[in-house]
Amino acid sequence: MARVVKTKTEFEGNFFEQYIVIEGDELTPWAADEKLEKVGKCTPRVDGSERVTGDAKYTYDIQLAGMLYGRILRSPYPHARIKSLDTRAAEKLHGVRAVLTHKNIPQIPLRMGQHFLLEPTLRYAGDEVAFIVADDEEIAEDALELIEVDYQELPFVIDPEEASQPSSPQIHLNGNVLNGKPEEYERGDAEKALREADVTIEARFTTQVALHNSLETHGSVCAWEGDSLTVWDSTQHIYGVRAGVAQALGLPLNKVRVIKKYMGGGFGSKNGAGKYTLLAALAAKKVGRPVHMMLTRKEENLAAGNRNNTIQYLRLGAKRDGTLTAIYLRSYAGLGAYSLWGTSPGGPARQLYACPNVKTIQYSVFTNTGPMAAFRAPGYVEGTFSFEQAIDMLAQKLHMDPLELRLKNYIDTNPMSGMPYSTKGLREAYERGAKLIGWRERKSKKITQGTQRRGFGMASQIWGGSGGPPAYALCKLNNDGSATIITGTQDIGTGTKTVLAQIAAEELGFPIERVSVELGDTQDGVYSPLSAGSMTLPSVGPAVRVAAHDAKEQLLSIAAQVLEKPKDQIKLKDGLLHVQGLEKPVELKEVLAMKLQNFMIIGKGARGPNPEKYSVNTFGAQFADVTVDTETGEVLINKIVAVHESGRVINPLTIGSQIEGGVIQGLGFALTEERVLDRHTGLVLNPNLEEYKVPTALDVPEIEHEMIDRADPYANNLGAKGVGEPPIIPTAAAIANAISDAIGVHVTDGPITPDKILKALNKTQIGGNHA
Amino acid sequence: MRNFEHITPPDLESAVDLLSERGTKSIAGGTDLLPEMKSRLRSPRRLVNLKALEELRYLKHNARKGFQIGALTTLAEIESNELIREKIPILAQAASVAASPQLRNMGTIGGNLCQSVRCWYYRAPEFKCWLKGGDTCYAIEGENKFHAILESSPCCAVHPSDLAPALMALGASVHITGTDEEGTVSLEEFFVRPKASNRQMTILGANELITEVQVPMLDGDSSGIYLKAMDRKVWAFALVSVAVQVSWDKERVKGARIVLGGVAPIPWRVPAAEEIVRDQAITEEIATSASEAALEGAQPLRDNGYKIALAKALVKRALMTLAERAKK
Ligand SMILES: Cc1cc2nc3c(=O)[nH]c(=O)nc-3n(C[C@H](O)[C@H](O)[C@H](O)COP(=O)(O)OP(=O)(O)OC[C@H]3O[C@@H](n4cnc5c(N)ncnc54)[C@H](O)[C@@H]3O)c2cc1C
Repeated sequence: MARVVKTKTEFEGNFFEQYIVIEGDELTPWAADEKLEKVGKCTPRVDGSERVTGDAKYTYDIQLAGMLYGRILRSPYPHARIKSLDTRAAEKLHGVRAVLTHKNIPQIPLRMGQHFLLEPTLRYAGDEVAFIVADDEEIAEDALELIEVDYQELPFVIDPEEASQPSSPQIHLNGNVLNGKPEEYERGDAEKALREADVTIEARFTTQVALHNSLETHGSVCAWEGDSLTVWDSTQHIYGVRAGVAQALGLPLNKVRVIKKYMGGGFGSKNGAGKYTLLAALAAKKVGRPVHMMLTRKEENLAAGNRNNTIQYLRLGAKRDGTLTAIYLRSYAGLGAYSLWGTSPGGPARQLYACPNVKTIQYSVFTNTGPMAAFRAPGYVEGTFSFEQAIDMLAQKLHMDPLELRLKNYIDTNPMSGMPYSTKGLREAYERGAKLIGWRERKSKKITQGTQRRGFGMASQIWGGSGGPPAYALCKLNNDGSATIITGTQDIGTGTKTVLAQIAAEELGFPIERVSVELGDTQDGVYSPLSAGSMTLPSVGPAVRVAAHDAKEQLLSIAAQVLEKPKDQIKLKDGLLHVQGLEKPVELKEVLAMKLQNFMIIGKGARGPNPEKYSVNTFGAQFADVTVDTETGEVLINKIVAVHESGRVINPLTIGSQIEGGVIQGLGFALTEERVLDRHTGLVLNPNLEEYKVPTALDVPEIEHEMIDRADPYANNLGAKGVGEPPIIPTAAAIANAISDAIGVHVTDGPITPDKILKALNKTQIGGNHA
Repeated sequence: MRNFEHITPPDLESAVDLLSERGTKSIAGGTDLLPEMKSRLRSPRRLVNLKALEELRYLKHNARKGFQIGALTTLAEIESNELIREKIPILAQAASVAASPQLRNMGTIGGNLCQSVRCWYYRAPEFKCWLKGGDTCYAIEGENKFHAILESSPCCAVHPSDLAPALMALGASVHITGTDEEGTVSLEEFFVRPKASNRQMTILGANELITEVQVPMLDGDSSGIYLKAMDRKVWAFALVSVAVQVSWDKERVKGARIVLGGVAPIPWRVPAAEEIVRDQAITEEIATSASEAALEGAQPLRDNGYKIALAKALVKRALMTLAERAKK
């Protein structure tokens, strides 16, 4: 029976209360000492071989009969109006099949009417002007050059703090500040506490725009059959794309099918239908042929989202013994041209420590730049970079060990809600991490002379990652004793298929080889949420367990009837029926296929609500050991230690991949990655992989990682929490603190490139010697 | 990329003839030209495929002439060649820190010396900058962290090659073949500051090819070093690089050639610094004053002042390292 219940969900640092539909009974969570055979074991990816052999078909690989290729004309100005537009020459080019502009397509509102699919106003360099479909990509590109557009340039603004001023060029009708005012949070009286503090520090931090640079760019292939549309989309949310497309095109949900079988990365930037999706769908309808529309790398880096830049003013106050008494943060985040939400750089400041007086004022500001998108722990990566550096500055001023200062302000309850954490393994993470990096012996390893200075730093991590309903799953048992798990989630590269197979195999008592997992198709699947906010496993996993349990119970009743034994005398293990009184276990096939007509068992599962009285969060600590060349400003990372707590570990291999990937992306953010804008024209200067520098294999140091593996008794029936985002959160801050430990000065602007280190050193003794 | 014709010439002579027609470009490894064509920065109507000219792919050495390196020799071949590693390791070092293994397998020494600058305004089709025939150098007032601190007008792009400073420190020359004439010029003559009538960094005419790079025999006891500072461990152009080749009389410098990369539109040889170390045993003081002299006249733009300290540090470090080795 379906039931409606209320649940609390946390997503990317924001909290929501929702009513959701639940089915079936909740299972008792696996106990901390439960004897599990599949869950918790190193399990190689079930789809590893098709991924490495090239059998896996990504969106880009979809080839359909009669398929055409799309290309987008983009605004060359950061802010402009199209005065006139002439597409005749482009249309005449041989091989061009359609040209779409704001003049010949319906006005389709996006982001609740903030802007339109195509419109005469362009709000960033890269904004969509027109869409061409042609027989191949080269023809489409030739045709782009033949579209004549007369632009009226408008004044523009690219700096978020400047854009927050009313005198700046206005990008949307109701001003540049999202929702007209900053988002404020306060507990206690931070200003008063700052005045009364024994010790205070104050600093301004900036973080750069970082690009996701998924290996697979954004894009869609759209094909119509009658009035039904199939969309192969590079997305983290097939149901979200379905909803977006259905709404934009006025279609019922059952006429839109969205497929994503294999994913080449998303990191938060692929959470819904893109303009490319809708344009491809419209054009495919118009010409009656499928349309393939994948962004180029340049477009990917202009128009597919980014981690927004921030400017953060931070003040901390403490007692002489290190007790934090005040945190005050004012932040500005540049949303780019379009967004309905802003990130929370103040999240870590509000949540990490037991401080009674906290005030955060967060401005999210529209600018004439590429729109932001969620990017692996949005807000928290930026916020931790500043806040955890500020904590180190405070430790320095107090002459305290940075780790001791953090432990001094440790808190077991959520300081915002007052609720206890369901589990909090941060203390253990600090302990283990300190041990692995040699924190307490670091003084003896530090190098404080010469040009190669070595230093150590650390930072803490807090994030959500509870996941939550709604998420559903089915478990089909075939009469040969094999099982198929069906969900509507997607494996965005994290290993979802593998962990869901482990969970199902565990609950069913099947070998993992007998379980296959079907996902990434809205037509075949059942609703699952987007794969973001570290929520796939803790949302979908529990539903899979319930579905498997339901199927198993049905199977056991059938077996009991066929074998003429009471159900409680039959157990399933390794895919065999162990029956009390029978010497040998029985093959499932024997009972099912041999004795019965063909049949199929369908188990159903849904994710239950989140706990009401606990705060479900993830924690971690990272430590960095770096050497800085004080003459060249080059940074060598000797080692990163990452210890995290995300509840029960389902698969040490896939969780290890998440930690390593997060740390690597984090060190790119710390040291090399930055989208560069020309301040005079508002154009992006490095929309490529040459000047936008992601870490190479040689930039990656030894990464030693460990999980504080403990079942969360309240989070859900698995005891597992998310881990996709946590590992990127503290990396940049830990590296920044290590650099400061090495050179004696904090670099407060990211990324910490050689020029900034040399500039910072110039003001110190070390730099003064040779400058 | 726009459509083009791809011609494989039977020999060097016909290659040069083909290049005389407007809209024609030579292509060797294609690692620089093809990206330019893909971004429609250049759209030659015809490409003359040099790769077929096997006669330009060789590496010879003899005691009289030194090294003769065919223009089509790849960076990977240079990096791994035993004789180069033994006799002129500075060149192997420079090749080994250039680009990435894939690019070094394709990229040739001729193409490396003739590559276009990496300035992001030049590379962006949206900017019609001075070097591309426009009126303005956008970088001078714009985002110029990677740009020149010397000779930064009318164009402040820096020459991107790692091989060029090393070759110049070795006193190398290039042999150039054109339709009517051929000849050998030193790299100091080959690289020129761009001017309105020649908006490129070399003297090469459209219908001329580099056929050979020549590295003369070094006299007696000589050693060299190439240092490159980057903002990523590999696969990045030099923020600043320095090539130093010194000939020794025991621990005294007989002569030195010091060349900086990443500081000027062309590889930047610094005779004033060379002068300071001549006939000296290198001490910290001498190395410091040579490094000061090397950056004489440097004028930073808004974002690249750090290059001065960085270049000085590299010059000093290169000299000190060579001096250390000379002692052993
Ligand atoms: C991502 C990236 C990173 C790089 N990093 C570095 C680096 O760190 N250090 C570095 O030094 N280089 C670097 N490079 C440049 C690379 O080394 C050059 O692209 C390569 O050496 C060029 O050789 P090619 O044979 O591929 O030239 P092509 O692309 O074939 O030609 C380049 C140009 O030279 C002309 N040309 C080619 N051969 C001749 C000839 N024999 N005579 C006259 N003209 C000729 C062509 O007409 C063309 O204009 C990098 C390149 C890329 C794409």
